[in-house]
This record gives sequence, structure tokens and C-alpha cells, in this order.
Amino acid sequence: MLVSAELPLRANLSVLENIALIPQYRQNQRFDPAADLAWTMLHHAGYGDIAFKRDPDLTHEERFAAKLLRAAAADPALLVIDRPGMLLPDTFAPPFVAALLERTADHLNACWIVEYVWNKPLYPRPDPSR
Amino acid sequence: MSGPVAFLTRRGAAALAAWRVWRDTARFAGRAVAASLSPELYNSATRTVVAKQIYFTAWQILPGFTLFAALLSFVLIQIVVSTAANYGLSEYALEVSMRLLVLELLPLITALFVALRSSSAINTEVALMRIHNEIDALEAAGVDTMRLEFVPRVIGGVISVLALTAVSGAVALMLAYLAVYGPQWWSFPDFTRVMAKVFEGPIMLGLLAKTLFFGLAVTAIPVVEGLATPRKLFMAPISVLRGMVRLFFALMLIEVASLALKYT
Repeated sequence: MLVSAELPLRANLSVLENIALIPQYRQNQRFDPAADLAWTMLHHAGYGDIAFKRDPDLTHEERFAAKLLRAAAADPALLVIDRPGMLLPDTFAPPFVAALLERTADHLNACWIVEYVWNKPLYPRPDPSR
Repeated sequence: MSGPVAFLTRRGAAALAAWRVWRDTARFAGRAVAASLSPELYNSATRTVVAKQIYFTAWQILPGFTLFAALLSFVLIQIVVSTAANYGLSEYALEVSMRLLVLELLPLITALFVALRSSSAINTEVALMRIHNEIDALEAAGVDTMRLEFVPRVIGGVISVLALTAVSGAVALMLAYLAVYGPQWWSFPDFTRVMAKVFEGPIMLGLLAKTLFFGLAVTAIPVVEGLATPRKLFMAPISVLRGMVRLFFALMLIEVASLALKYT
């Protein structure tokens, strides 16, 4: 599952609906439990206040979080974040991404970050024990 | 290339492109009909999209549209009734006005109304989804967009056109009764006899088929046109323009075909 600038949110759905759509469709869930899951994920990530916002009303950070949670809602074996530096142009991306991944760890399995090579020094060396 | 040859080449290419779009539309409509008959299509997400489509296409406009249909029906029934009386043909007034309104004009006007209000919105939305890559994003998230986004719109659109046609037809029947017999009940058996003559089984089947085709056209054409939009923002208005022109011709073609089948 990919988080990428090229894969936008559905513009006419709220963030909550964008996330709930995935379990609704992939696991054939009814809207209420799917929305409950989306709520829980948003609150764990610290973004409960964006639940009813739509894509054009989001900041880069909020949009990134919404995309990450939408991808995580599919419970993928592997989550790939494609160039977070491009998704978060006004943010020092590595600590922001690390903190968000930490808060959403319950919903994630493995995660890879694909980044511009010139941004490599910004990232800490991966901890082999995790 | 010389002038005439270049001209013919351009015309030929344009004709082939137009043929491809019509072929894609027919193919999409066929797939949508087949998918709508499959129970696998329906889950809570698709039901939500169908319900939203019916809400925006039929429910929101119901009061205004019913009022408009009543006004139009009233004026046309009065014209037919008074003209028939002038020529001493009053006994045909009811039948003629019902054939004109319920079988021909109201279904066409309903389809045009829905086309102006909802088809343009569907065309724009699908074109923008395509331009902004939202369709690929949903597919990448494991969502079948045909099943989630497009077929439910077709189902919602068809149901909306059928429902609005039925409502406007019922209003026209009521007004015709009042115009011809006045506000009393004892002519109801006469009225039902004339209606039975007008709305025979094959005629009703034809009306149902025509309305279904109208419903398919007002949703399938904008979806296909939206999906064919090149990924450039400035192409969105051009896509809607093309879609609406094609839709207008399709609706007229369905109406003419229906008239030809009925009256020849």
C-alpha cells in the first residue's frame, strides 16, 4: 500500500469517509463500524479534528496523515511512503513522519520510506531491533 | 498532403474518434447493466453511493420539478381540451393529452431536466477525478471504481429518472381528470376506460424501456466522457461540453426511435 503525492484523497469525501471507505469496501463492513475504526485511527494519530474536513481544506501535514491512515486502514503487509519530502514541503519531514508512525503503530505492519537520495542524511539510521 | 485529402483525413479521424466514444459508451452501459444485476455489487459503500445519487438527482429537485410538471401539464391539457372542443372532438381530448404528455413529453422533459442538473455534475466530477488521479488512487487502495463509483451512479440515475417520470405522469393524470371532468368522482370509471385504452401493455412496456434508456443515457454518457478526459485541467470544461452535446443527441435519438416504433 502506497502513500504518495500521486494518489490523492477523494476530494468530495471527508477524511473520515476516505478512511472508512477502505474497510467498507475491502472487508464489506457497514458504514458505522468502518467509521468507528476511522475515528479511532484519527484519534490515535492525534488528528481527530480533521475528520470532517475535505482535501482542499487540509494542510500538508493533515493531508499526509489522512493518506497514511487511509493506507493503514487496508491493514497492508507493507506500507510504502513515497517521498515524504515532497508530501510535506513545509515540514521537517523525518521527525514528523517518525512521530506519526509511532502513534499509528497499532495499525501498521512493515513500513518503508522511499526518499530523495539527498534527503538521506536527514533520517536516523534504522534501529535493527525494530 | 493536398487540401481535400487533408480535409478528408481529418474528418475520417474525427468520425473514428466519435465512433469509438459511442462504442465505449455502449460497452460501459452494458457492463453497468450486467453489474447492477449482480448481488455481489451491493455492499454498504455502493448502497451509500446509490442513495446519495438518488438524493441529489431526484429527492432534492422533487418539489420544484413536480410544480413545473404540474404547470406544464395544466397548460398543455387546457390547450388540447379547448382546441378539441373548438373542432367538436372533445371525446378525444383526454386520450390525446395523455398520449402527448405521459407517453412522450414528460419522460423526455424529465430526462432533459436530470441531464441539465445531474449529468453535467457527474461529467465534471468524473473528469476532475480522472485529472487529479483520484481514480488510480482508489484502485491502488484496492477499491474497484467501476463497482464503487460508476455503476452505483448509473443505478441511482436510472431509478431517479424512473421515479421522476412516474411522479410527473401521475400529476398529469390527475390534472387531466380535473380539466376534462371537473372536481367530482362519478366520471372515474369513464376516465379509467380511456386510460386503459391509452396505456395498453405494449405501450407501457415501451414507456418503461424508453425511460430506462433515458436513465442509462443521462448517467453512462457523462461517466464515459469524464473517463475519456485527458489529464489536463483545461480539458474539464471541454469534456463537459462534449458530454452534454452527446447526451442531448442520445436523448433525441431515443425519443425518435421510440416514436418511430410506436407510430409506424
